Amino acid sequence: MQLIVTAISKDYGDIAAVRQVSFQINSGDIFALLGPNGAGKSSIIRMLVGMTRPDSGSILVSHQHEHYDHVPRRLLGYLPEDRGLYPDKSIEKNLLYLAQLHGLSKQKALQEMAHWLEVFELTDRRQEDLKQLSKGNQQKVQLIAAVLHQPALVILDEPFSGLDPINQEKVVGFLKALKARGMTVILSAHQMAMVEKLADHMLLMAQGKAILAGTLADIQQQAGPQRQMVLSCAGPVTAEQLQQWLPELEIELLNSNRFALKLTATQSVSGTLKQLVNQLELTQVEMQTADLHQLYLMAMAQHQLREQA
Amino acid sequence: MISKQSLIVAKWEFLRFFKWKQQLISYLLMMAVMAAVALWSYFTDESREVYRIAVPAEFSISNTEQFQFQRPSIALSEQLAQLKAGESWHGVVTLSTATADKQTVVLHTLASKKWQQQLETELNSYFSQQYAAKLQLTPAQLAELQQPITLEFSYLDENFKGKDTPEKMIALGVLILLFIGLSTAFGQVLLSITGEKQQRVTEQLYAIVTPQQWMDGKVLGHSLSAMKAMITSALVMLLVFIVVSVVVRDNGVNLSWVNWGVLAWLVPFALLGVLLSACFMGAIAASIDDPNTSGKGAVMMITWLPMLFTYLVIDSPTGTAMTVLSWLPLTSFAAMPVKMAMVELPWWQPLLSLLLLLVAVWWMRRLAGRIFLRGMQMYGKEPSWGQIVGWALSNKAE
Repeated sequence: MQLIVTAISKDYGDIAAVRQVSFQINSGDIFALLGPNGAGKSSIIRMLVGMTRPDSGSILVSHQHEHYDHVPRRLLGYLPEDRGLYPDKSIEKNLLYLAQLHGLSKQKALQEMAHWLEVFELTDRRQEDLKQLSKGNQQKVQLIAAVLHQPALVILDEPFSGLDPINQEKVVGFLKALKARGMTVILSAHQMAMVEKLADHMLLMAQGKAILAGTLADIQQQAGPQRQMVLSCAGPVTAEQLQQWLPELEIELLNSNRFALKLTATQSVSGTLKQLVNQLELTQVEMQTADLHQLYLMAMAQHQLREQA
Repeated sequence: MISKQSLIVAKWEFLRFFKWKQQLISYLLMMAVMAAVALWSYFTDESREVYRIAVPAEFSISNTEQFQFQRPSIALSEQLAQLKAGESWHGVVTLSTATADKQTVVLHTLASKKWQQQLETELNSYFSQQYAAKLQLTPAQLAELQQPITLEFSYLDENFKGKDTPEKMIALGVLILLFIGLSTAFGQVLLSITGEKQQRVTEQLYAIVTPQQWMDGKVLGHSLSAMKAMITSALVMLLVFIVVSVVVRDNGVNLSWVNWGVLAWLVPFALLGVLLSACFMGAIAASIDDPNTSGKGAVMMITWLPMLFTYLVIDSPTGTAMTVLSWLPLTSFAAMPVKMAMVELPWWQPLLSLLLLLVAVWWMRRLAGRIFLRGMQMYGKEPSWGQIVGWALSNKAE
């Protein structure tokens, strides 16, 4: 399944929820929509699902030589942002109901259910009412409900929310398993470390606009070559001393003999080291590139500055 | 006409509120209560006992199967003392002369009992005979004097089956059953739709079924629940009738008064009526964001008005009001079966009324589907009445 979204916009009254956003998702990709609350991620998802229509722009969904203006229900697995199931019904009854609505036979539904319950270690609890489960386990049941019918496209709005780190890792494994089954996945999330491990492509949004898009490498390049040099020295050093020796650099003192220097595109590693070797006895030099979390924060800060300007 | 998904939703909704154990327990309890009432009335039946009554010596009243009249020679105070002690008598009758020409009969007993009404009848009869003898009336003259006049009603409308007849009882039964059905649907539709919204299931379901399929399933499921409530209530009514006939009145079961033809017509009218009302309730419930703060829930009670209007004109089944109500699709489900129970109608009238009702159900289900979709797209805001009317008049399904 391929999705081509071209310059879509959506207003709710006076609020411009999405403004001229374009992106493309290829078959089998994991695509992440990133951005703070109110950035427009859920609005885009609702347009993809067909709950709302774009005011302008177009959505083209292609699957096996057929084309649609939103994802057809039979091809879609969906975990909405506002989610819940029937708390007074068992896991099995909840999942069977949704699977049968998707058109699965009872036998096929039970077979798929058994597989995913095993993955999430919920097999022994299948007869328990949903209200008896923890929030995290309820979330797992919701995830299973979204994929039982093996859809071509899975859209997951905030799949990591409400989960502890161990269960977040389980969801990462779950999403990789979906990809391995050939499903295309769209997810929105705030957990950058998780997204970094998973997403083939991503779109960073703020205030309804796309501000960065592409692979992680593309985004790193778009954000500018952000490098960080972490150095250790034999004796103690102060922030004032470092600022005096390297006045043009951003410096962060990590402890009395360890500090980080942020390099811009014009500042070379060798030039910086030359300035320091006469002042300090360096024992370790480590180069780091900005991770997605840092890029996200930086991009948001830059966006805010641009908006203010 | 109705999709497989709608049928799955309908089954889910029907079974969601159908608890086998609770249902069985409630039926058993109902039967136990009925049995207790029957046994209680059997064991406390005062008509099967014989009561001893002390009367003044000059009373020439004869004994009956229920009453033995005794004329004790002891003083009244002693008679009352024995009565109080629970000995000798169940009651003591005395005469007091309030005025020169009027005597008052006083019955002294420990407490008020049902048999005393029967005794009053016996005493009235005795005194009537005494007065008749005083006036030198023959027994035949007395009987003629006591004969009440018989007023017979003659109705010139040959289709009218009469007032206070079994037909009217059936008509009232129809209204009661519809009221039970719609009350069941009212509670379930409101709880189901607003509950799903609050449990955040709605958006997930939207990605699986269309709003129309979802609404069709809901309406069908709850209408079946309402029909089940009506059928079980009808069976309970029938059971009560049988128990009263057989156990309490000691008669056989006679169902010849039941108009089976009307009951056969009642089923499609009731089903379509409940569907129409459930669609309306579904539309209103779909526009409610939070039932705790919304005032829209009360509007769903409008669906009870057809029964109320029909009840108000039930004594004029051939009148203009009943005719209008029986043709108007929003009220015909209540009025037409009631009218049919009370007057003979040509076959095409209920059939045409039923077809008009079917069209109304079709329109109302489309409206409910539209309101559900549009309401869901408002994300937490409740639509105004103006918006709802606008959606009702628009023709956009999805």
